[in-house]
Amino acid sequence: MTRKIVRINMSNQKATYEDVPKKWAKWGGRGMTSAIVFEEIPPTCHPLGPNNKVVIAPGWVTGTPAAPSSGRTSFGGKSPLTGTIKESNAGGLSGQKIAKLGLAAIILEGTPAKDQWYYLVITKDGVEFKDASDLMGKGMYEIDEILWKDYPKTAVIGIGQAGEMKLSNAGISVNDPENKPGRYAGRGGLGAVLGARGIKAIVIDDAGGPGVDIANKELFEKGRKNLTEAIQEHALTKKDGGLNAYGTDVLMNIVNEAGGLPTRNFSAGQFEGAAKISGEAIAEVVEKRDGKGMTGHGCHPGCIIQCSNIYPDESGEALVSCLEYETAWALGANCGIDNLDIIARMTRECNDLGLDTIEAGNSIAIAMEGGLLEFGDAEGALKLFNEIRNKTPMGRILGQGVEATAKAFGVHRVPTVKGQSMPAYEPRAIKGIGVTYATSTMGADHTSGYTIAPEIAGVSGKLDPLTDEGKADLSLAFQASTAFIDSSGYCLFIAFPILDIQTGFEGMVDTVAGVMGIDLTGDDAIALGKEVLKMERLFNERAGFTKEDDRLPEFMRYEKLPPHDVVWSMTDEELDKVFAWVHED
Amino acid sequence: MPSITINISLYGDIAKHAGGHHVAQTEIMLDGDPTIGDLQDKLGISAEEKGYVFKNAILCDVPGFDAAREESLCEGDHVGIFSIQHMWPYQYRDGVRMSDALARALNEKGAMHNIYKATEE
Ligand code: SF4
Repeated sequence: MTRKIVRINMSNQKATYEDVPKKWAKWGGRGMTSAIVFEEIPPTCHPLGPNNKVVIAPGWVTGTPAAPSSGRTSFGGKSPLTGTIKESNAGGLSGQKIAKLGLAAIILEGTPAKDQWYYLVITKDGVEFKDASDLMGKGMYEIDEILWKDYPKTAVIGIGQAGEMKLSNAGISVNDPENKPGRYAGRGGLGAVLGARGIKAIVIDDAGGPGVDIANKELFEKGRKNLTEAIQEHALTKKDGGLNAYGTDVLMNIVNEAGGLPTRNFSAGQFEGAAKISGEAIAEVVEKRDGKGMTGHGCHPGCIIQCSNIYPDESGEALVSCLEYETAWALGANCGIDNLDIIARMTRECNDLGLDTIEAGNSIAIAMEGGLLEFGDAEGALKLFNEIRNKTPMGRILGQGVEATAKAFGVHRVPTVKGQSMPAYEPRAIKGIGVTYATSTMGADHTSGYTIAPEIAGVSGKLDPLTDEGKADLSLAFQASTAFIDSSGYCLFIAFPILDIQTGFEGMVDTVAGVMGIDLTGDDAIALGKEVLKMERLFNERAGFTKEDDRLPEFMRYEKLPPHDVVWSMTDEELDKVFAWVHED
Repeated sequence: MPSITINISLYGDIAKHAGGHHVAQTEIMLDGDPTIGDLQDKLGISAEEKGYVFKNAILCDVPGFDAAREESLCEGDHVGIFSIQHMWPYQYRDGVRMSDALARALNEKGAMHNIYKATEE
């Protein structure tokens, strides 16, 4: 069966099915969303206007039988937060079900009549357009519950009140196996773009779907076995390994010890309360409360790493999933808050309202710097979410993200690149990540250059970690390999076993080659990743971005970051090398 | 011989060596002119259990290396030691300040890899 694209026109509520055209046949996940956005969305369009689209695509191997940790769904469009191209991916139930319906992509375009809102039900028989009046004004916890009453065990993609208000920090929620809205394509405001299409939710029911074709079953099976063994063997990804035991918040204490943990709106690199909001602290709370909380939770069926968690409230009932490192940092250290219970409540508010937790925490930190609250005022910070829920002008400002909040409060220390605020790694102390923040096609993004070791793409052995030299090449190699993994549907955390264990890497490549029926080597992976980056970079150029936008904020050049008392010192010329090849190749 | 007080944080399984479960944050007295190696020995932390090691926010050791043992300690220093299973992806540590001894060790032995058979090695 050939993969299809379903094009859903919200102007006339019609859905049409198309074969995947040859030019896009090689793409999945991020590669697919970026290829379609590049070709179909005018780069200068208003992100909330009628010409923007939301493209949804499962990865290459998503939906295949037992490819481990491969359930990612990519969401693409032009970002209202950054004005750039955007791909944001999430775990949860949607990717596997979209893929099992034989769909390579869903393209959502057009705009319905004013104040018309729909939810869509996508099954093997087609697309139904349902009146969403009864869902309006509701948060994602309630939406997921309501929709599972009529459509049990389905995937639910949706937006909270933030997306209805078309706020630039509105994310897209995907339900997890417990039908909670814990998995987010959070960054970049694509929830507002879905809102601009008049779509409150999308139900995906894969019952009776054709499943995913595997062109070379033998190769796929060999690769699957090697990759699974590597994940199960590696200290970080195996059962009770670092990720399974402590989740991504295992990084809190490490980055703090290194002096690279942005604290109180990026004014220091260490937070005295870091240990209280770390993965280790989450594990202690889960054990002590001995209720429905858990570590080692999987965000979708078939994940064998299981880095997610369910954080319990004081009575042991499930409060929120998942409390990630970047979330605990943004709503915690960066606001000077060390109360894990309140951070968990704020995370639940974000998941309900449909907000990206990183941008939300950073916006509160900016408001604190602007004098709205004291740093460390946990109760005050929690109450701010009511402003968004109640659609007050204050809530709308905070929901527009860091740059809008900084303007409203007259703050000049604004930790953004291309309109998107930085995640939990201080670039003055951790220089390499600064290059990726500056040059990423998505704005400041910690997942744009994900790797665990510098040995990929032939950069091995050429690096002195203490100098700035070579960081441009390295960042490009990281960004390209990440674009490949984002296209595959695999979770980025497979990077550990595949880069440390050779057979794991071959296994990953073999599963992709097996599904797609193509010849593929490790070198091809980088080349494909660069193709994705090139499309994204050219889209941004056509939208008006230049190399002058590939810069970190000015204050990081003159304000020393304690405890190391360092400033951002990378030269502009070095940064400009990262994408110099785009017009040379 | 005068003793000095070192502020320590142990993270993960090794917290048990200072009375913790997942985290132990405490102070410890050491005699003479101690090093991080002396501290590890006093706490009973073996090379196999140890992952990243920091002294006063400077990275002194990484999994699979043993580059911090000679690092000297002074009154009031802070030392953070992580268990072997703690992860830290490369791009989130690329460019952090590190000790001269670790920089030398990395230049000699090549970049670190995450140890994936910690208990067997
Ligand atoms: S490792 Fe974590 S983020 Fe990745 S698929 Fe599994 S639970 Fe989801």
